[in-house]
Amino acid sequence: MNWSIERKLPLFVTILLVAVAIAQLTIGYGKVRQASRTLVDKRLPLATHVLADLFQIPTQRARLTALAKDPAIAAFLRTRDPADRARALAALQRITVDTSSNASLELRDFGGKLLLRTGKFTVADSVYVSPRSDSATYGPFMRQDTTLFIAVTMAVGAGPAERGGGIVQQVARVQMNARTPKALTGLAGGDIVLLVGNAAGDPWTDFGTIVPAPPKSVLTSATPVRYEQGGEMKRAAAAAVPGTPWMVVAQMPSRLIAVPARDYLRSMAPIAVLIVIAGALLAWWGSRRLTKPLVHITGAAEAITLGDLGQRVSVQRDDELGRLARSFNLMAEQVSRSQHDLEAQVAQRTQALEGTNAELESFSYSVSHDLRAPLRAIHGFARILLEDHQAKLDPEAQRLLGVIDQNTRRMGQLIDDLLAFSRLSRKELASARVDMTEMANVVADELRRAEPERNGQLEVKIGTLLPAQGDRAVLRQVFSNLLQNAMKFTRAQPNARIEVGSRPDGKETVYFVKDNGAGFDPRYTDKLFGVFQRLHSNEEFEGTGVGLAIVKRIVQRHGGRVWAEGKVNEGATFYFTLPGGN
Amino acid sequence: MQSKGVEILLVEDNANDAELTLRALKQRNLANQVHVCRDGAEAMDFFSAGASPVPKVVLLDLKLPKVDGLEVLRRLKGDVRTKAIPVVVLTSSREEPDIERAYELGANSYIVKPVDFEAFARAVSDVGLYWLLLNHPPQ
Repeated sequence: MNWSIERKLPLFVTILLVAVAIAQLTIGYGKVRQASRTLVDKRLPLATHVLADLFQIPTQRARLTALAKDPAIAAFLRTRDPADRARALAALQRITVDTSSNASLELRDFGGKLLLRTGKFTVADSVYVSPRSDSATYGPFMRQDTTLFIAVTMAVGAGPAERGGGIVQQVARVQMNARTPKALTGLAGGDIVLLVGNAAGDPWTDFGTIVPAPPKSVLTSATPVRYEQGGEMKRAAAAAVPGTPWMVVAQMPSRLIAVPARDYLRSMAPIAVLIVIAGALLAWWGSRRLTKPLVHITGAAEAITLGDLGQRVSVQRDDELGRLARSFNLMAEQVSRSQHDLEAQVAQRTQALEGTNAELESFSYSVSHDLRAPLRAIHGFARILLEDHQAKLDPEAQRLLGVIDQNTRRMGQLIDDLLAFSRLSRKELASARVDMTEMANVVADELRRAEPERNGQLEVKIGTLLPAQGDRAVLRQVFSNLLQNAMKFTRAQPNARIEVGSRPDGKETVYFVKDNGAGFDPRYTDKLFGVFQRLHSNEEFEGTGVGLAIVKRIVQRHGGRVWAEGKVNEGATFYFTLPGGN
Repeated sequence: MQSKGVEILLVEDNANDAELTLRALKQRNLANQVHVCRDGAEAMDFFSAGASPVPKVVLLDLKLPKVDGLEVLRRLKGDVRTKAIPVVVLTSSREEPDIERAYELGANSYIVKPVDFEAFARAVSDVGLYWLLLNHPPQ
């Protein structure tokens, strides 16, 4: 995959946006959830308190208080007179008829003995509540089948210690219908269910039906509590109803607490997704806008690298990329111009060199032709003088003609060598694998045959030489010149010994020709390879001083080096290197 | 063995070289029927005269005034009447391009004049002996 900036940048921005969105949603969700729980925790106790307050002013209490003050009932309880009994019963019945919720109404003495009763209540037949002095007191919820009852009791008269008093007790049916829970829920707010029941346990009701009692943990906690009921998590707060054995509980399912948070997610998530998509598109567009000029410049730079110097980029911008493009164009312009100048210069130089070369060629042609002709005339006519007019010449004249003869020959040799040297510089070299062992042997054999008289006094030892890469004809010249030298300088040596060898040296091969001849003074080593440079007189060892110069030129043209080691009368070793032949 | 007419045509502008050449030929008794031309134009005139006898060999220098040796060679070898005449290039030049060009144009031999007189005399007389006595030209 090609990870270009054009792709990396939008990807990076998108990842960043997604991370921000996820963080935003997560934190937001947590916060909203926290806030809604805090709100619920405030609302639940509030609802219980409201309900508890409502229970404190029930109509029953007021009605019972009124009943207790009824003169007929008060009289009966005081006197227990059967005459009063009828009137008390009438009062009781009046109240019983009045209220549909009334289950029964009783008059008892302080010991709990039933004196008079209307209606019938079958759950129990006793005093359910010990009345306190002068106010009505509620008893616990009681259940019969699907009906709930509560007892309200009130003392009439001075008290149990006093004769002639008693208790009024009403057992009332709790009115339940389907609308009540809804009304209560509406009262407490949206999603809260209100329950009422005995602090001690069952029965409990939501005023619609009888419900299971909330767990103890709810009833005993001062703050809202979370619990499981019927496979559902709920949160609830409880409060006691003052003056009664009842408790009120406000509860709501936990999942409802998360609803606002979920709503938040539901509304925010699409927005976050939109933002991410928009951001990614924007980043992609921006990245393209940013990298397009870069792509252009890169392409142009690559084209220039491949030699298309005419490449320019057109970027119409004023920012850094625009500057880069303009600088790039300027640079390309300069490169192109200097390349052009360079080519022109090279062409000019080449032309000049070709001219020089042509001049050199015509010069050496002239030397070759025009210098040799007069020399040949001098030599020829001097010889003719010697041959045809010998009788008329005295010995001194003949000697002088001999000197002319010698020097013209020598000059002829010099011209020939010089021409050979000059030709070598101009000749184009071939490149082939050269078997140096064979070449050295062939050359050595030729040279040995030229001096058969030295057969017993000359040993030429040629090892197995590494092959070389180069021009066969001119490399042959190298061996020829070096071996010729070696033979020449060992001529005075009765046990002449010449050795040719080679060794690899990195990518090159070092070849050497070693002899035990006259050697040379190492101080003049640098003169050995110069043209016409000689370390010996012509009388001592003949030669023009071009041979080693030719060797050096050939080796250098092959990319090699030459050097020599030696001492006077201790022989010499000539080294040259060539590129390996493998 | 001497025959009438020209047997050797020497085209040589250098009087000294011509003299040395003639001397070398004379030593072998080959100089009797030698005709010397001083430049290329003269050589061409020699052949265009028509009636002249055909030489057994032409010794041709390359560096000549007016018409140079290679041009003379080209014309001789390009003409049906003269192309069978053996032409030996006898020159001071041992430049490779000259040698190649001469053979391309049909030179029968290419001799570099040695500076050393003995060697020169030997070369010239050998050439003369070979082409005059040993070689058998078409009649």
